[in-house]
Amino acid sequence: METKASVSPATFLDKIVVPGDVVLDLSSLTNQTIKLGGGLRQDCDSISVMKAGKLKFSKPNKYWVESSHKRYVPSVEDNVLGIVVDSKADNFLVDIKGPAIAFLPVLAFEGGTRRNIPKFEVGSLLYVRVVKANPGMNPELSCTDASGKAAEFGLLKDGYMFETSTGLSRMLLSSPTCPVLEALGKQLSFEIAVGLNGRVWVCFLMPFLELIGYWVVLFSSCSVTCSMVNAASPSTVVVVSNAIMNSEYLSGVQQQIMVEKLLQRIK
Amino acid sequence: MEIDRADGRTANQLRPLSWSRNTLHRAHGSASWSQGDTKVLAAVYGPKAGTKKNENPEKPCFEVIWKPKSGQIGKLEKEYEMILKRTVQSICILTVNQNTTTSIIIQVVHDDGAVSFDDYVFQYSVFISLLPCAINAACAALVDAGIPMKHLAVAICCCLAESGYVILDPTKLEEQVTLISSQYLFADLSEITGIIWLE
Repeated sequence: METKASVSPATFLDKIVVPGDVVLDLSSLTNQTIKLGGGLRQDCDSISVMKAGKLKFSKPNKYWVESSHKRYVPSVEDNVLGIVVDSKADNFLVDIKGPAIAFLPVLAFEGGTRRNIPKFEVGSLLYVRVVKANPGMNPELSCTDASGKAAEFGLLKDGYMFETSTGLSRMLLSSPTCPVLEALGKQLSFEIAVGLNGRVWVCFLMPFLELIGYWVVLFSSCSVTCSMVNAASPSTVVVVSNAIMNSEYLSGVQQQIMVEKLLQRIK
Repeated sequence: MEIDRADGRTANQLRPLSWSRNTLHRAHGSASWSQGDTKVLAAVYGPKAGTKKNENPEKPCFEVIWKPKSGQIGKLEKEYEMILKRTVQSICILTVNQNTTTSIIIQVVHDDGAVSFDDYVFQYSVFISLLPCAINAACAALVDAGIPMKHLAVAICCCLAESGYVILDPTKLEEQVTLISSQYLFADLSEITGIIWLE
């Protein structure tokens, strides 16, 4: 009844797609392996879109849809910020903004044994790594990196946590450093942890960490620390949070201008 | 053949359409949809863990809450909720996010007044164009929230004018004088779902 137009992948690449768009016709491609990322699904002989977003392609054969939402889809090796909801005998129950609540085994800490199980209150914020994320099962987390070291994972004390979309989190974690973080880091000193699930934690650094010049240190666990000569105060946390929340839809240059104007006003 | 409509539209012309997404700060997905004077706001929360008691845990559960502009929630609102729930279940993918609940809340912001019938025939007043507007708003809100969907859904209302011609997207006055009106939902191009209202 409907005529199938031959769909070549190039027609939709880097364009906005909506659910129902057929982006690939498998009958025209022979003997190729294609890897599908988030937002795409296979429907008999065609690849169609499940979520609205921009279709991306990476050589040799990976296709995915990039979109920004307020909820998170758990995937392995993501660093996220979770909030402890409950604690059981074997696991802590941690909310990571996904469809199911995640489990953090009580032994998943560096040097963790049955004798030194950490005590987390309900509501504490943790920086964790997703270890298992299978469909239909609760995700599993860990407070160590792949080799078993603590590596900045664990409890985040003090500071201020706010929620953003997953797209903004990805932008903050991109390399080279996101313009808004770079502009803020040149003038203020603060500590920040960004979770890929759309949660950002900002804290002020005590003044004894004064250094001349500015340096940006990117740890392997993707936690960024920026520090400068000026002393820190709780108002820096407010300024940094507001600047980050405003920067989602701005380009690089616009972000720098926005940060400059903001810092001029508070001086 | 040209027919005269009160607001100067042709038979196939819709009222001015406008919609916007991400209108609500707290909702995980939201959209507002307006066709002419009818305006509906839809909000989506979820997917959240757990399903309701009598629902199948092997599929994601969708619950729809319809909030009218004013008045109590009655049978009409329950009927709208049921129609919307079945629509959403047919366009969303049911093999992902098992054992979760996604809530869709529809708030009628403005419904261009109400059409009232004789009391002994109908117990309530109903404006036919409201449901297609709500379906469009709900679909847009689901896309905004990132719920995996098979395809988009589009709904339209049409009725039979006095002159015998079929006109699309009737206004309140045109509806008052019509004999029959129906609403159509287009989801997958291979199937068309329709609801027909007779008066």
